[in-house]
Amino acid sequence: MSRAAHKFEPELVAQLVTAERLADRQGCCPTGIDAIDRLLGGGWPRGALSELCGRRSSGRTSVLLASLAASLGAGHATALVDADGMLDPRGAAAAGVPLDRLLWVRAGGRQALRATDLLIAAGGFGLVALDLGEDIARIPSAAWVRLKHAAERQRTAVIIAAPRRIVGAFAASAIDLLAGRPLFDGAGPPLLAAIQTAALVRRHRRTNDVAPARTNLIVKADRGRPWEAI
Amino acid sequence: MRLACVFVPQLALQSVLRREPESRGFAVALFDNADSSARHAAPQSPRARVIAATEEARRGGVRIGMTGAQAGAACPTLRKVCATPADVATAQAALGDLGFAFAPRIDTGGIAQGRIFFEIGDLERLYPQGEAAIAQAIQARAARLGLGVRVAIASSKGLARVATRARELAVVPHGGARARAFLAHLPVAVLEEQPSDVGTALKRWGIATVGALAMLPAAEVALRLGTAGARVHRLSTGIDDEPFVPQLPADALEEETELDYAIYEIEPLSFVLRGLIDRALARLACRSLACAGITLRLKLDPRGLDVREILIAAPTREAATLLELVRLDLARRPPDAGVVGATLIALPARVRSTQLDFLRPAGPAPDRLAATLARLAALVGPENVGAPQAPDTWREEAIAVAPYSVTGAPRTPESAARSALAVRRFRPAQEIEVLMGRDGPTALRGTETTARVLIAAGPYRLRGEWWRPPEEDGDFARDYWDVHASDGAVYRLHQDSRSGRWFLDGYYD
Repeated sequence: MSRAAHKFEPELVAQLVTAERLADRQGCCPTGIDAIDRLLGGGWPRGALSELCGRRSSGRTSVLLASLAASLGAGHATALVDADGMLDPRGAAAAGVPLDRLLWVRAGGRQALRATDLLIAAGGFGLVALDLGEDIARIPSAAWVRLKHAAERQRTAVIIAAPRRIVGAFAASAIDLLAGRPLFDGAGPPLLAAIQTAALVRRHRRTNDVAPARTNLIVKADRGRPWEAI
Repeated sequence: MRLACVFVPQLALQSVLRREPESRGFAVALFDNADSSARHAAPQSPRARVIAATEEARRGGVRIGMTGAQAGAACPTLRKVCATPADVATAQAALGDLGFAFAPRIDTGGIAQGRIFFEIGDLERLYPQGEAAIAQAIQARAARLGLGVRVAIASSKGLARVATRARELAVVPHGGARARAFLAHLPVAVLEEQPSDVGTALKRWGIATVGALAMLPAAEVALRLGTAGARVHRLSTGIDDEPFVPQLPADALEEETELDYAIYEIEPLSFVLRGLIDRALARLACRSLACAGITLRLKLDPRGLDVREILIAAPTREAATLLELVRLDLARRPPDAGVVGATLIALPARVRSTQLDFLRPAGPAPDRLAATLARLAALVGPENVGAPQAPDTWREEAIAVAPYSVTGAPRTPESAARSALAVRRFRPAQEIEVLMGRDGPTALRGTETTARVLIAAGPYRLRGEWWRPPEEDGDFARDYWDVHASDGAVYRLHQDSRSGRWFLDGYYD
């Protein structure tokens, strides 16, 4: 294997997986954060809805951008429906998102749900993320049923990002980010260095554990290792 | 050099039948119409006369020159139509596209009379059965474009032209002697487009066939019949010096139609536009091209033009996709008045097969993605759909939206994230009140956010675009702060250095 690997491009070698892991990889869309991928058993499940919840400054947007970057990095067509239009392109680029390959749709309220439905129905998208923003109007269950079935048909991973859980039982996975604690460099005048948060798996189709799995994370604002599990 | 001549008999009538294919197979008569702006309904003027008729109408007793009443009396089931200049122009353009389906350049000098020429030298490799097969293939392709044509292949334009008058499909053999033998038994009338004094004189002399004319001395014919007679005599001997003048195809392709009455609803208008799209795609298919963009010019009632550009994400040959994009554009921005005419200009482009990457997942099909993007644009506005861009400016809140490309940039090695901490921006920034202490903000109050400041990092001074006046959003000077508030969030806010006003830009998340 090692002799044969020398003959191939490194990229090809990186794509080689064992048969046992292939099914798992095809069934998951990595988040780009190893610690959360371990909680979810590989990443966001394909063909299903997943929830990403967290209040302000909990790291929700950072996890969402890391997921978009990972999906685009793997070559999947990826779309983001932004209900509040709060995407910061510079921050997204710094998080590793190739902006020219991300389809960004600014739509609020019911238009956001309709836009998400259209994107999933188009087929071929590896990941469609719906960022519901701050104010969430009541969304009927029928909407989640429709999105769930569309995601199953198209084998698309769908992430619903919101301040609190709203998808309920229609989500195959749910990650809750607890309130973040900012870390300032205190050598001189304070400088925001990172936010410490914790990711809690509230729901996961693969585990039947009574106690939700949890991992603590540090989201850094500098070079080096942007994500650190502690 | 072997040339093909493609002739469309009764071009004006065929242009109407091309637009109304449901009339094929019925008795149809074309009337002259002095008023070119009138639509092709039954001619009202008693002076309108039949200028062309289908075979069914002729069998029913309709003759050229009859008035409408006479023709109707002869054939009660007769359909009376008129052709507009737009009909004839699009039929001529379709004839040109037929030529471009077989040759890169064609001679369109006679296209006004419904005739084109093109070289067939290289076609023998595609049709090894011979030139007769080539002629049949041309006729079959013309039928798909809605044109019934006569095709002849000869060594010169003149001979090919004559042969189209003689037969529906003709191949004039190589060589002068064999060509003369082909022409010898044809009636002398085929040598001329229209009856003339030369033909009358030949008839008076008892010259009935081309062969008989060829046996006459050339000088004597020229002496008695002039230049026209000399030309006809040369043609009868198989000699033709008319040059072949090839031309390249036009960049864009137009299909046009005029309506009987103004249409106000999108559904019936879509039905009309579907016909234009189908004909345009058929012509593009002749050149092995697809449609990469559409310009739609709608003629409004009573006056005015509605011009709209419809962008297509990827070249397509799917009529359903193009129609859907057009419908979505019409639904998003309906015409201001009723539509009485439509011109569709299709931008041709090559269809390049996208080779799937062995290591990259297949994305959405370009056709479906194009339709989805159009639907999204109709739903939320085109300015809210696309790829985000960070403009080249120091303004932190600046953002732009670029068209989303189906193919996108080539896959590059994964770029390592330089920073994981994202900012959620309020657009526009929310004006707030800030209580300042000795070391910075101590409290902030806004419409949605009120909190004490626990830790404040800053100020970070930012100034830029001094070359643009403030009224154009230029020359900004700001002091930025990152604050940890008592509600748990980490906000980013700034104070405008000139006005002193505070704004909440967003929060780290």
